[in-house]
Amino acid sequence: MDILYKVFIDPFVQMGTAPDLLVQTLWDGLVAGVLYALIALGFVLIFKASGVFNFAQGIMVVFAALTLVGLHEHGVPAFVALGLTVVVMFVLALGVERLMLRPLINQSDIILFMATFGLTYFLIGLGQLVFGGNPKVMITSELYLPSGAIEFKGLGGFVSLQKIDIAAVIIASIMVAVLAVFFQRTRIGRALRAVADSHQAALSVGISLEQIWVIVWFAAGVVALATGIMWGARSEVSFSLQIIALKALPVLILGGLTSIPGAIVGGLIIGIGEKLGEFYWGPLLGGGIESWLAYVIALGFLVFRPQGLFGEKIIERI
Amino acid sequence: MLSTDLGLDTLPKLLIHNAAALGDRPAMRHKDLGIWQAWTWAQMLEEVRAFSVGLAEIGLKRGDKFTIVGSNRPRLYWAMCAGQALGAVPVPVYADAVADEMAFVLAHAEVTLAVVEDQEQVDKIIAVADRLPYLAQVVYDEPRGLKDYDHSRMIAFEDVRSIGRKKLASDPECLRQWEAGVAAGKGSDLSVILYTSGTTGRSKGVMLTYENTIISARNANAFDRLDQNEEVIAYLPLAWVGDYIFSYVQAYVAGYCVNCPETAETVVQDRREIGTTYAFAPPRVYENVLTLTTVRMADASAFKRKVFDFFIAFAGRWGEKILDGEKVPLTVRLLYGIGNLFVYGPLMNQFGLSRIRVAYTAGEAIGPEIFRFWRGIGLNLKQLYGQTEASVYITAQPDGNIRADAVGNASPDVEIKISDSGEVMFRSPGVFAGYYKDPEKTAEVLTPDGWVHTGDAGFFDPKSGQLRIIDRAKDVGHLKDGTVFAPKYIENKLKFYPNIREAVALGAGRDFVCAMINIDLTAVGSWAERNNVVYASYQELAANPRVYDMIARHIDEVNRSLADEEVMAGAQIHRFLILHKELDADDGELTRTQKLRRGHIIDRYSPLVEAFYNGLTEAQIATEVTFEDGHKGVIAARVAIRDMKPYPARAAKMERAA
Amino acid sequence: MRAPSSREAALGEVLLAVENVSLSFGGVNALTGVSFDIRKGEIRAIIGPNGAGKTSMLNVVNGFYQPQSGRIRFKGQVRTSMRPHAAAEGGIARTFQNLALFRGMTTLDNILAGRALKMHRGFFWQLIRYGPALKEEVEHRRRVEEIIDFLEIAAIRKIPVGRLPYGLQKRVELGRALAMEPDLLLLDEPMAGMNLEEKEDMSRFIIDVNQQYGTTIALIEHDMGVVMDLSDRVVVLDYGRKIADATPDEVKRDKNVIRAYLGEPHGTSV
Repeated sequence: MDILYKVFIDPFVQMGTAPDLLVQTLWDGLVAGVLYALIALGFVLIFKASGVFNFAQGIMVVFAALTLVGLHEHGVPAFVALGLTVVVMFVLALGVERLMLRPLINQSDIILFMATFGLTYFLIGLGQLVFGGNPKVMITSELYLPSGAIEFKGLGGFVSLQKIDIAAVIIASIMVAVLAVFFQRTRIGRALRAVADSHQAALSVGISLEQIWVIVWFAAGVVALATGIMWGARSEVSFSLQIIALKALPVLILGGLTSIPGAIVGGLIIGIGEKLGEFYWGPLLGGGIESWLAYVIALGFLVFRPQGLFGEKIIERI
Repeated sequence: MLSTDLGLDTLPKLLIHNAAALGDRPAMRHKDLGIWQAWTWAQMLEEVRAFSVGLAEIGLKRGDKFTIVGSNRPRLYWAMCAGQALGAVPVPVYADAVADEMAFVLAHAEVTLAVVEDQEQVDKIIAVADRLPYLAQVVYDEPRGLKDYDHSRMIAFEDVRSIGRKKLASDPECLRQWEAGVAAGKGSDLSVILYTSGTTGRSKGVMLTYENTIISARNANAFDRLDQNEEVIAYLPLAWVGDYIFSYVQAYVAGYCVNCPETAETVVQDRREIGTTYAFAPPRVYENVLTLTTVRMADASAFKRKVFDFFIAFAGRWGEKILDGEKVPLTVRLLYGIGNLFVYGPLMNQFGLSRIRVAYTAGEAIGPEIFRFWRGIGLNLKQLYGQTEASVYITAQPDGNIRADAVGNASPDVEIKISDSGEVMFRSPGVFAGYYKDPEKTAEVLTPDGWVHTGDAGFFDPKSGQLRIIDRAKDVGHLKDGTVFAPKYIENKLKFYPNIREAVALGAGRDFVCAMINIDLTAVGSWAERNNVVYASYQELAANPRVYDMIARHIDEVNRSLADEEVMAGAQIHRFLILHKELDADDGELTRTQKLRRGHIIDRYSPLVEAFYNGLTEAQIATEVTFEDGHKGVIAARVAIRDMKPYPARAAKMERAA
Repeated sequence: MRAPSSREAALGEVLLAVENVSLSFGGVNALTGVSFDIRKGEIRAIIGPNGAGKTSMLNVVNGFYQPQSGRIRFKGQVRTSMRPHAAAEGGIARTFQNLALFRGMTTLDNILAGRALKMHRGFFWQLIRYGPALKEEVEHRRRVEEIIDFLEIAAIRKIPVGRLPYGLQKRVELGRALAMEPDLLLLDEPMAGMNLEEKEDMSRFIIDVNQQYGTTIALIEHDMGVVMDLSDRVVVLDYGRKIADATPDEVKRDKNVIRAYLGEPHGTSV
């Protein structure tokens, strides 16, 4: 009886009695969710267009951030460094397409997946070689990203919103919107959907697979850069950042591996769910919910709705 | 309601009037290449006039007959009016008629010009060209496939129209002449010859004057308060009097808009897009939609099915009352409202019926359950009874007095009487002018003082005051022991079951009644899927013993209901079989309007009939069939025959007991 | 069937020439020294027993396979190693034996995808959907609707292709190939798995495409009746070699062809 009360009633009572804490938690969850969504987005882009699960997405985030900071450390002005990093990501996309995808074009998915493992270690090695293995600080002020926090009193208490978080949410939203429009409305977007559906059909209709792949990996690279900047600003730029990529997995399962809105919704659900869970139910279980709650939710989905909330149900006529 | 002005006594005159009075309102739409294209009354007048002048230039004159063959396309409707403006008479032919049928009508009517839709129709005409000495020109609408054909007597619709436009532009006299030609037309002129697809013998050409059709149309519009705001979809055969009246004459008289669908398969979608307000369909269509719905619901989750069943039953109980405006308890109204939100509304919307104010059905008896279903969910479904010889309307049901088992009261200006032999006779301004070139048949049907023998046996129901049709008069017969045998009555009861598509009852002059059944492939196929019955063809499914069991149960129920009726108790079904192939108009078994050709069927299936009355349990039959392009084949089968146990006449028993 | 003399006159110069093409995969010779040509405006059938190399031949023309030796000459130009999308850009469209449709997309979107190469306006214009981009979109949509009308598939316009019955899927694939406005249309067993009525419909469409749009057609087909009815000339392959190349009537009577189909064991001398 007591346990039932603690699990089902008490947390909601707490939410009600201290609304400012609730808002704070929701906000933190939102921010985390948005950032998870950004990472998941990178996976979705590549999977949708080339059918490859890009294990290297996480390291691409680190690599992009490192390149940016590294260039700046060498004296390149901030925005020029930003521009150069974008170019680097483009070159990376070209390289990946030509050296990794093209030779393996008709191989099975698992082989391509293993190839992305290789890519991961390559990028780790390259990053360490060029920029060194020490953690670095993100050049937030040079990029004119705000710091500090907005605080306001109200709701019976006190809520603090980090300005960098606000910026992150805004930038991420814009990015997602642009990508969504791109996929739905443009010729290239249509070609991407075609390639995702059937390589053979896309080829026979005259869509150049190579071109599409370069575009998509480049887009994923830009998303990785944005993610790197945001996450880097909140903590630091180091190789441990790639762990974040693992958090993307539950998001992808929830949202469906092929859906952009799914990545967003999934990210938000996981982010907010985690924070709420940690804050209100965490004490019951001795804390640490944050590290496993996402995976438990994902497990549930795998059992009941494996394609995720938005993923494509395979329509087959038997 | 537009024209009460008696000066507008022909259709071309009505068109000119509408173009002036309703200029910018839509007169006709056609969904082509995915979008709806519209023509206003003014634009339509221009099209018709140009085409008309063009037709005159290529030789069509007053008094000529011309034919229209094709599906519901604006240009074909325009062609009708264009010819009529010159004083020529349209003789439309069913688009799915085989070349043979077409040849008969075109030769009999001495048609000199044909306006057809596409290559398919052109090919048919070419195939029988040697039997059509009068035919001088063929105008076609759709040029696909005709590029390499010999064009010495063929010309494209667009070319004819260009000729007309050029003439009108260059010659000022031309317009005046054309208008004078229209003005010279009178209400008593012959306006159209519609060949009825006879259930016995060859078709007869029903001659209708402008007055016949316009007065009937005017009365019909008044009866249902149809005005220029109606939207109608034209999907029934052009050559059928119903379409001629609903989609042409009534539209011109009221000024409403007629919408032509993209293809036959997209009618439901198109109807939904337009949101039509007035509908007509034979009972079969309403049945099919209901069957489709039932079949789909069977595949839905248990929860959805329960909700559906509950609300439909609820609608069956209260829906009609609400539709008729009777008082019902508030709780009922609320619950009905919820039902409307979740079940009835979406259902009606799915089939494009949400905006329908009036929906008619006619041509065959309609099952009471079907009637109740549709009226229950809010469709104002009514029956009417008519004939080509009447310009359609003989009786119609007014709002507020609708029943499934009757066809209504006499339509405005129509008088009805029942002859001594029980035949329904009528007299009205819509009565036809006679059968073309067939004074004998005309005299058989039309009395000197204007009464028409309908050929149907019927009576006025004392309870409701409405007319009830039993059967075709000449089909009402007797069994050997004198029991009245009205085959259609029995067949209708059988066809009320979704599993039974068609039924033929036999028994005139015999000891007992037998029935040949066609199963409905959609309904029975779906049942087969759910019950793991495997079949590779219609024939195999029709021969399956479990299907026989299912049909036997239906026949048993019919027998029980017949047993309850004093007159019919002796006409219960003793034996039945399921036919190996569907009855088909192409094989001459049905008319083009899907009515049974009884005599013909009995001939073709005589081995089965013999087997029935010789007590055999199965029979071998080989039938010749005609495919759509005219070539023939043979289908053979071994058909099983089952016996049924008739019920004792209950009504009689109860009387004795009382 | 087809009036020979007037048709002969209507056919143009050589559109595609296959010159001594040989193709092998890891020791298996799919094609050996095959040469034939296809003239502009004709309907060319490629027939042969199973395993004769017919689909491989189409794949070479289409760019899916690169032959080890031999050349393809298309529109007078010799083609060097060519990728499928380049073949598409050059004016060759293709349907597949096992269908290669975008299963998740509707009929309309599938056929629209065929217009991919014809869409020129860049990303920015498309984003704004203004002016030239809009006009272009309308034009593409109109072409696609004409094809839908032509193939009589208006009723299934909005249905995801994965849900359609096989015969209709084949028709949609044909529609997509037509949307490319190809000079050369390659059909790989377009009638496979169809009943009589569907075959008649498909035959009618193929003839109409050839007559109305003037498209040159090469088709692989097993149904001899169809081949006789539709084609102007026939190439017969057997075990990767060409064994006959003539009009349908001549091919029907050719001894080698009869032997290949009815089979005397290969390798034994006559």
